[in-house]
Amino acid sequence: MEKAQKSTRAARGTVTCDNTTMHLLKANDFVAESIRRKMAEQHILLINITSSAGSGKTTLLQETARRIGDKVNMKILVGDLETERDADRLRAVGADALQIVTGGICHLEAQMVWQAMENLGLDGVDLLIVENVGNLVCPASFDLGEDYRVTLIATTEGDDKPKKYPRMFLTSDLMLVSKVDLLPYLPFSVDAVVADARDINPNIGVLQVSSTQNTGIDEWCAWLLEKVQEKKAEALTPKTENHVFSHSR
Amino acid sequence: MHEISLIRTIFNTLEAEFSPAELERMAAIDLRVGRLSNVEPVLMQNAFRAVTTAEEKYQQVELNIEAVPVEIYCADCGVNSTIENYKFACAVCGRPNNNVVKGTELLIHRVRFGE
Repeated sequence: MEKAQKSTRAARGTVTCDNTTMHLLKANDFVAESIRRKMAEQHILLINITSSAGSGKTTLLQETARRIGDKVNMKILVGDLETERDADRLRAVGADALQIVTGGICHLEAQMVWQAMENLGLDGVDLLIVENVGNLVCPASFDLGEDYRVTLIATTEGDDKPKKYPRMFLTSDLMLVSKVDLLPYLPFSVDAVVADARDINPNIGVLQVSSTQNTGIDEWCAWLLEKVQEKKAEALTPKTENHVFSHSR
Repeated sequence: MHEISLIRTIFNTLEAEFSPAELERMAAIDLRVGRLSNVEPVLMQNAFRAVTTAEEKYQQVELNIEAVPVEIYCADCGVNSTIENYKFACAVCGRPNNNVVKGTELLIHRVRFGE
């Protein structure tokens, strides 16, 4: 922070602030960088899964755990305002899952993930998946130190969502169009949703999935396993340039 | 988003930076709020008044919010383009581009003090 009048000890007149010290989410971003460093040191891939409520995050992760649970050492953190329901569902398919109850907060913050990671234990872990609170608004602004942000958009939500919630799609690396088995019954155009998303983020990857009908799950799991391998092979330099905004979203 | 907690963060940040004597003379806080920050200026103003009234402090302070449009930088053309309607493309060459250089900020930009 640069004080305009350095000759007097007390600030007077106009003081122009330094952009990094006065960034209002700096506490979150500081912890997120600590997580990113820790994950780099331990070669753990960290995935942040976001979407609206009810677009199928937990069902996708149940299917993911069934498919690759014996191939990689995977752990899951799952955030909700209340209840242990999602962690229970994930444990029911054999996943090592821990619930983060936010108590009314509509997004996960890096500090919550950091504390939960300490309770979960990360020895020997290859892949840590964080299932964020179902919300396309606030989770977009909170960096959790993830390597990749994956956003689900269900066919039941409508194909007009990317431009309504631009920051989420701008900061996502992969968009999963979920519940594609329902396409015959819904006025949802995959082409329209992809065009909308790529207007905002030309680099966003797209996969179409149905967790209940096993569509696209092989591709999704292959993507995850490939990224796990990449992370393992990575040199010990924290990767911070994956995202559109490396330090503040 | 979370306007009340953001207002408290502003005060905490300023209290860490300036002395109580200085803050007594604080006249205005200027924020820069990007269009992509998910923060609504009107709600920030309301939250600011709610907190200063409830906590009976900084009631003399004026809050100014500058909304910052989204801008991208195209390295090929060497120009910045302002983004409208959330179509992220260079205004000169038209190529898709999400190299955002402005519009995500959530900053205390300036603080003004009286004598």
